[in-house]
Amino acid sequence: MSDEAPIVHLDLPARPEGVGVVRQALVGVADGLAIDGGILSDAKMAVTEACTNAVVHAYEDDLGRLDVEMYADQEQFTVVVRDRGVGIAPRPARSSSTALGLGLPLIAALSDSFEVRGGPGQGTEVRMSFSYEREADPADENPITGGPGPTGRWES
Amino acid sequence: MFDALMDARTIALDDSHGDVLLIVMRGEHDIYTAPALRDRLEEALGEAPTGVIVDLSGSTFLDSSILGALLDARRQAIERSIGYVVCLGEDPEPGVARILEITGLVPVFPVVRSRAEALEAARVAPADA
Repeated sequence: MSDEAPIVHLDLPARPEGVGVVRQALVGVADGLAIDGGILSDAKMAVTEACTNAVVHAYEDDLGRLDVEMYADQEQFTVVVRDRGVGIAPRPARSSSTALGLGLPLIAALSDSFEVRGGPGQGTEVRMSFSYEREADPADENPITGGPGPTGRWES
Repeated sequence: MFDALMDARTIALDDSHGDVLLIVMRGEHDIYTAPALRDRLEEALGEAPTGVIVDLSGSTFLDSSILGALLDARRQAIERSIGYVVCLGEDPEPGVARILEITGLVPVFPVVRSRAEALEAARVAPADA
């Protein structure tokens, strides 16, 4: 799939106002593919969480970029969200009040498959795929456990 | 570029129900509108009402940034013995209902369907702290 050209490629400032733009693009792609409303709804949420992670955690300032590609084949569509930030590391959010810590659990519960790549200094790539026809609800396969802790962070 | 998106998103404070204040959210809400929601919630709790209702019946999208803001406000409401309830409406957007259900937050807030239920529940001070 990575050899194919994406049907959508967005390169945006990694800022909060860009996340809704990515969702709008996703809705446009879904219209073209006649994707089921429930699957689109899950995809919007998972992709939002991936973009939000990049906006909140990837960069030290407002100058970073958010790179999003969307692909489609016969069985599924795939959204790849990439940043060129500090990479996967236990780093606090730029604004601590915005981070609940539910991003990855939601991505796992709402996508049919996903993969996170990256490391310190390499940026982060989140690749999420959504089947056009589901055999099972991914939220049953990867249920979200835990609840809100006393500090405001999600505790599993 | 973002004007059309911003127009569709509103967070309004409704003080027409006496001792219960309503925060009425319409449209899509995410990390971009979470700070405004936090401001509105703080404003509502600062009025020291009997209860606060967050009305999501007109919301078409919520993410974890919004859940975080709603949970922080719930914690503050409990500390101040202010009733707090989320109203989903009788015909909620499926995606909004789904994020509340899969996170197990329906009994936590709590989440109710009708405005009448919400008004009743919001007038009961939270028992646990």
